[in-house]
Amino acid sequence: MLEIKDIVFSVPDLDAPEKGAQKTIIDGVSYTFEQGKFYAITGPNGSGKTTLAKLIMGIYDVTSGSIFLEGKDITQLGVTERARAGIAYSFQHPARFKGTTFRDLLSIAAGTEDVDKLAKIVARVGICSLDFLDKPVDSRLSGGEIKKVELATTIARNPRVAIYDEPDTGIDLWTIDPMVRLLKREQETQGTTTIVVSHNRAFLSAADTLLLIKGGRIAYAGDLDGAAELLKDLSACGYGDICEGESDVRCHR
Amino acid sequence: MFDAIDKKLLKAVADLEGIPKGAYNIRKNGKLLGREISANIIIETNEAGTGIVVRINPGTLNESVHIPVIVSQAGLHDVVYNTFIIGAGSDVTIVAGCGIHCGGSKSQGHEGIHEFQVEKGARVKYVEKHVAMGEGKGKRALNPTTKVFLAEDAYAEMELSQLGGVDQAERVNMVELSAGSSLLITERVMTDGAQTAVSRNEIILAGDNSRANMISRSVIRGDSKQDFYATMDARAKCFGHIECDAILMGNGSNETVPSLKAKHSDAELTHEASIGKIADEQLMKLMSLGLTYDEAVNRIIQGFLK
Repeated sequence: MLEIKDIVFSVPDLDAPEKGAQKTIIDGVSYTFEQGKFYAITGPNGSGKTTLAKLIMGIYDVTSGSIFLEGKDITQLGVTERARAGIAYSFQHPARFKGTTFRDLLSIAAGTEDVDKLAKIVARVGICSLDFLDKPVDSRLSGGEIKKVELATTIARNPRVAIYDEPDTGIDLWTIDPMVRLLKREQETQGTTTIVVSHNRAFLSAADTLLLIKGGRIAYAGDLDGAAELLKDLSACGYGDICEGESDVRCHR
Repeated sequence: MFDAIDKKLLKAVADLEGIPKGAYNIRKNGKLLGREISANIIIETNEAGTGIVVRINPGTLNESVHIPVIVSQAGLHDVVYNTFIIGAGSDVTIVAGCGIHCGGSKSQGHEGIHEFQVEKGARVKYVEKHVAMGEGKGKRALNPTTKVFLAEDAYAEMELSQLGGVDQAERVNMVELSAGSSLLITERVMTDGAQTAVSRNEIILAGDNSRANMISRSVIRGDSKQDFYATMDARAKCFGHIECDAILMGNGSNETVPSLKAKHSDAELTHEASIGKIADEQLMKLMSLGLTYDEAVNRIIQGFLK
């Protein structure tokens, strides 16, 4: 349904001593996502999970390789065209806007300003009341609230492929299970091919297939049980090479 | 009474399709075009004949006054002095605004000097839109001065906008707040080409528990220039906030200077200011919802100036 073929993504390596050196973030990844399945992408910090998701959405351009959606080569398409082709993306750190309300974003996402239709989407997402619609999506929203807005705008697209980058960031513990159920329900009722980038066991357990990314490659693809040994390694700190001891705030993540 | 240009300007500055409901005073090219008063709202020409005095009787509730100005005569620079006395305990909306239509090469302009006395416990919403249009090459200038005196527990909300066509604008807002009174100013200005706009605001928080909030949103297209100055001068236990954001779209420039002066130890003053281009993450979000780059820019600007 969604096929990525030999994709490579490199960026200039600013830390390298020689000029013009490249650093490879995604190192020749091929995979075929099947229609209507739920995938979880996990892996250590800096392994390339989010980069892979952004390459699929077209937020980053691949250095080489191809991406096909339902047989059509979309490698050269930009974000707008991929969105229109049926891919939707939930950002880990959603943008905040001065003056733009949840209603504005939802109307753009759903392609309608019809109040009844918007109300139906809000009910379908089931995470916020209707009076929330006229709240500006600005710095006054809490981390959890803005993630719910992000989720709702993604679902409102009725996407063929929905990509969620760390959907539980800023979400309280009690909201994670309902969120997992919501994504499962969308997958089952709408046939949405669902790709979730996450470390959270709740999402990993919900997935039909787990993709473990390590060093820019797929280290494992299969069910959660089969990944148990590999996941143990991930509990170790991923910042070993830059560690400055406990004074480094990243140790407290 | 109105020709096609008048109608277009009235629609743009006051959302009027024809004669407004309630009290009004319409001024065209420096002369009175029409006036209507109501039982509670009296409009008279001032003694010097240079403008009007609008008196709102105490306790007048949910009434409105429209006072649009049209300048369509080539070369005319219209200056008007208007006074508004908002009676104690009333709650009214005043819709002002000036539309310039420039058809020739001579410059045209309007200077509205407005003074508000908002009496005890009164609430007033003042909406002012400035628009200029027409094919002429003459410069269109709008230089409003608004002075507001808020008595105890009074409230004023000022919605000031200039969303296109004005070549030169110099706005001055001066407000003095007595005890328990509140002020909200929202200013939205969009400039393009070689236009310039300056906004100077002097807000004096003179009374205990007075509150003032000044919000400014600027969009600077082309090579235009906008400058924003705002001072909150706190002389009592009070709260004041300035929020000023400017979006640069082309090669224009902006100077934003919020200034806070606490002359009382219980004053609480804050400000936030930003100048920059539209954030990439905002554009990317809207493009991921299916909008093109240009559509995304327009939506963000629309929301910002809404």
